[in-house]
Amino acid sequence: MLKIRVIPILTFNGFGLVKTKKFSTPRMVGNPVQAARVYNSRGVDELVFLDIFASEQKRKINLKMVGEVIKECYMPVAIGGGIETIDDINDLLKIGADKVVIKTKALKDAAFIKQAVAFFGSQCITIAVDVERRNENYMIHNKLGIERSLKEFVSQMEDCDVGEYVLTSVDRDGMMSGFDIELVDRFMNTTNKPVIAVAGGGDMTHYGELFTKTKVEAVGSASIFHFTQYTPMDIKKELLTHQVPVRI
Amino acid sequence: MVAIIDYGMGNVASVQKALNFLKIESAITSDPELIEKSDVIILPGVGSFLQGMKNLKSKGLDVLLTDQVLNKKKKFLGICLGMQLLAEAGTEPNDNPGLGWIKGKVKKIENIPFRIPHMGWNNINVKIDKYYSQINEKDFYFIHSYHFVPSNSEVIAATTNYGIEIVASIQQDNIFATQFHPEKSQEAGLTLLRNFFNNA
Repeated sequence: MLKIRVIPILTFNGFGLVKTKKFSTPRMVGNPVQAARVYNSRGVDELVFLDIFASEQKRKINLKMVGEVIKECYMPVAIGGGIETIDDINDLLKIGADKVVIKTKALKDAAFIKQAVAFFGSQCITIAVDVERRNENYMIHNKLGIERSLKEFVSQMEDCDVGEYVLTSVDRDGMMSGFDIELVDRFMNTTNKPVIAVAGGGDMTHYGELFTKTKVEAVGSASIFHFTQYTPMDIKKELLTHQVPVRI
Repeated sequence: MVAIIDYGMGNVASVQKALNFLKIESAITSDPELIEKSDVIILPGVGSFLQGMKNLKSKGLDVLLTDQVLNKKKKFLGICLGMQLLAEAGTEPNDNPGLGWIKGKVKKIENIPFRIPHMGWNNINVKIDKYYSQINEKDFYFIHSYHFVPSNSEVIAATTNYGIEIVASIQQDNIFATQFHPEKSQEAGLTLLRNFFNNA
């Protein structure tokens, strides 16, 4: 039986790890290589590393630093930030990334995503879906001024046969007040791809709620690991009490 | 020395990192001379079947590896796409020949009540325990949308359940292969690799 995945999300600003609230006010939370070493020693299921300012600042991800992060990891690693070309993806795979996470380029150029899937296989291409609720609508958050509904964006990405989604609620980012269950539930019913639900985890009950009320099979978290004593293993032990299959 | 075959299909660095951890000497290479000198050959790989075969052929590696493994009986490990390429054929978009060392075809996973790709940690049921002592039932990391369907079930070394039985590992003479990624499966994966190298 496939186990659910509990995945630490490391967000990077080009210098160090940061943690945002609602995608703003980044606060420094440490060194990425050290963090990766700790998560590896804790046997986490997977790691996601995102340079969240690369696209905005029009720079490439720092391959040397990413290489050092991956060196610490004997589990799968997904890397994202400023990916624009097939060569960018190749560079990341060569230094040991298993998947790449793409957002900005996917919004601007769906044809590129199709090309990347054809080249590397869908299992390699993960799409970051950053969602903000505006009035009664779910819209894709971005700094390009692109107006796109969640529904429209996902239907484009489904058409490209991408491998996975990282679904993040911008409104819940860093708030530690619980997941947007309605968003996750709705999203799970629009795709048959694996989804990592992100943003809102603050205590153990939030994780129980996420996995019992939606069909999601992976969760990503950052704040709870930075700002509380909880570890990924604590979350798994909690989920076991709800009969959710976990890898202990 | 272990030759990790470099044919432009993904994650060779992770395989070498795992071997370094186990203190096993290796080289990432497509150099025929070095491959001929090696004691063990590892064929890793992610991506499409068609592209994988194309890349092997463009470097003449299909012929060289077939000679090394089938004629010279060199110890061989295939990982993920490196297992699938051993089949007689892939089926998408239509039938394309593989290396043909193991009878069977690679097919798309479909008609299951679960999400595709099959992505994450799944436990295996061991059928041939040559390299799986102490790790039967353990979880390994899978990430694939296609699976190997062998003609002869006697080559199946392990299976995993994902709505259907999926072949997780193959064993035939000097050929060993895994659909999952041992180099990404932490303790269980490193134990399997250690068993593979320690066990003649």
